[in-house]
Order: sequence, then structure tokens, then C-alpha cells
Amino acid sequence: MIRVAAAGDLHVGPEVAGAYRARLSALAGQADVFLVAGDLTRHGTAEEGRIAAGELRDLGVPVIAVLGNHDYHSGAEEEITGVLRDAGVTVLEGGGTVLDCTGTRLGIAGGKGFGGGFEGRCASDFGEPEMKAFVRHTRDFAERLGACLQDLDADVTVALTHYSPSADTLEGEPLEIYPFLGSYLLGEAIDAAGADLAVHGHAHKGTEKGLTSGGVRVRNVALPVIQHAYALYRLDVPEATFRRSVRERVSAW
Amino acid sequence: MTGMSEYLAAHIQERLAADAYELGIRVDVRGDVVHLRGEVMSEQRRREAEEAARAAAEGREICNELHVVAVAEPEAEERLS
Ligand SMILES: [Fe+2]
Ligand SMILES: [Fe+2]
Repeated sequence: MIRVAAAGDLHVGPEVAGAYRARLSALAGQADVFLVAGDLTRHGTAEEGRIAAGELRDLGVPVIAVLGNHDYHSGAEEEITGVLRDAGVTVLEGGGTVLDCTGTRLGIAGGKGFGGGFEGRCASDFGEPEMKAFVRHTRDFAERLGACLQDLDADVTVALTHYSPSADTLEGEPLEIYPFLGSYLLGEAIDAAGADLAVHGHAHKGTEKGLTSGGVRVRNVALPVIQHAYALYRLDVPEATFRRSVRERVSAW
Repeated sequence: MTGMSEYLAAHIQERLAADAYELGIRVDVRGDVVHLRGEVMSEQRRREAEEAARAAAEGREICNELHVVAVAEPEAEERLS
């Protein structure tokens, strides 16, 4: 069993510094890992990055984060990534990490992701260079996410993004802006690689629970959606994993 | 007239993004009143969003129905198996 805490869209700034952290005192007793689904800052300045790092340092559990579009707004995304890493936060951008949670290996692959829209109602890699750049930013990330999920040597895997891999969890948002909220390419990559859970943020007016087309559980953990400091998910380790690890051990002997 | 108030709503939305860094706020212009709905992270941002909207509202009244997100500690976990 793995206990995952997750939240997105903290949007911290000087006037709320410390307020979020004050809600995290019970976290270490409730979860094995804390996933942060992007938009840590309000407009992506290095100062806000330092405040975000202060909220997330020394929580007593590993913190894995991705950045969101707001964290890119001031062009300080590398500085923000740096201060978060200095505070002990693992920041993923098209990469992955594996944690040992009392004998169970939890693999997390993730990054910001991007938009484009969903099946049958989406942007195409066609026409003007601006349009191609938009779609390719999503496509390149989706490819890296898929490869990374596949490479994770883990019992349980989670995909962590800012943009949504499913239209389900956008319910409540205006349909017209779905292409700016996520992309089926993310969902397709997650389904091809397989994952036990996909966590995202970004859609403040969306819905917590949904599925990818391939049936992977998707959770939108944007704070305005979950209305709590974080959501808690308990993932039972599939029995097949135990069988596989037993087999692996047998063959190793 | 309806068309013009939709342009105004768009301009207010642009101002909310540029000055208050808020993207998810719904703006409706109904007659002489601009309605703001959605979620923000603090009371100060609720006021800043109203000020940003007012600066682009061409003298219209602002009806601020923005809600500050409650960030309570979670009560329960969801079991996924
Ligand atoms: Fe956000
Ligand atoms: Fe976002």
C-alpha cells in the first residue's frame, strides 16, 4: 500500500507566505510522498519561488513537484527549479524518480505538459510555425513522459503533470478553453506506458475525478477543486506485482 | 450592444491576467455592472482582482463575487485499488 498526498496550484506570494505550510503539519503521518502538480507561484518570480520552497522544505516526506504555466510567466523557471531543489524538492520536467516506500517501489514520471485539446477537438501539427510549435511542445513532452513511465523500475507508477491528460477532470471549465487546459497526447502516452494514477492541476474550475481513455484514474488536485490543503490517495499494490517480484526472485536464485 | 459588452468582458479578462495574474475568473458584463466569479487564493487577491477589473471597466460598477479558496486539512483519504 502506498499513501500519496497531492496538491496543485498553490499560487503562493508574499502576502500568504507560511499560510499553506501551516496546513501541512499532519502530512508526514498521513502520506509516503507529497506530489505537487505545478503553479507553485502566482506569476513566476524568483522571490515567489523562494516562498514556495519555504512552504515545501523539510515536510518529513519526499516532495516531488512539477512546474506550471504561472511558474514560467517571468522567465525565472530555472531559478525557481533551483531554489526548490535546494530545499530538497525533486522537480521533474520530462524525467522520473523512484522512491522506496517501506519495500514498495513508487515510480513517478512527470513534467509541466501543455495543451492542444482532446480527441476529435484538438489542434494539429499543421500550418503556421506558431501552431506547429504549440502542438510540438505538447507532443515532445508526451513522448518523454511515455518513455519515462515505461522506464520506471517500480511496483506502482504515477504520472504527475500540470496540464490535464483527460477531459473528464475539466468538467466545470468552459468547453472553449479545453485546448488550453490539457491534451489527449498526455493521456495517450500514459495509457501506452501504463500507470496506476495520473495527477494534475491547472483546471481551477474543473472536477477532481476522471479517467484517461484507457481507464487510468486521473485526479485534478488544484486547490480550488479539492478545497483542502491536499488530497490523500491510497494505492493498493496490485497482486500481479507481487507475483512478478516473486518470479523475479525465483529466477534470480 | 451585447457584442460591445463582450469585448469589454474580454478586455477586463486581459487586465485580470496582466495586473492581477488571475486567469480563471469569469467576467460577465450585464448592463452597467461587471460581475466577477471564481476562486482566488487570498482576501488581498480578491481586492486586487476587483481593482484590476475596475481599471478596465470604463466606469461600470463591479459586483465582486470572487471566493477565497478554503485550504482546510483533509478529513479522509480515497482508496484506489
Ligand atoms: Fe493554477
Ligand atoms: Fe496553470
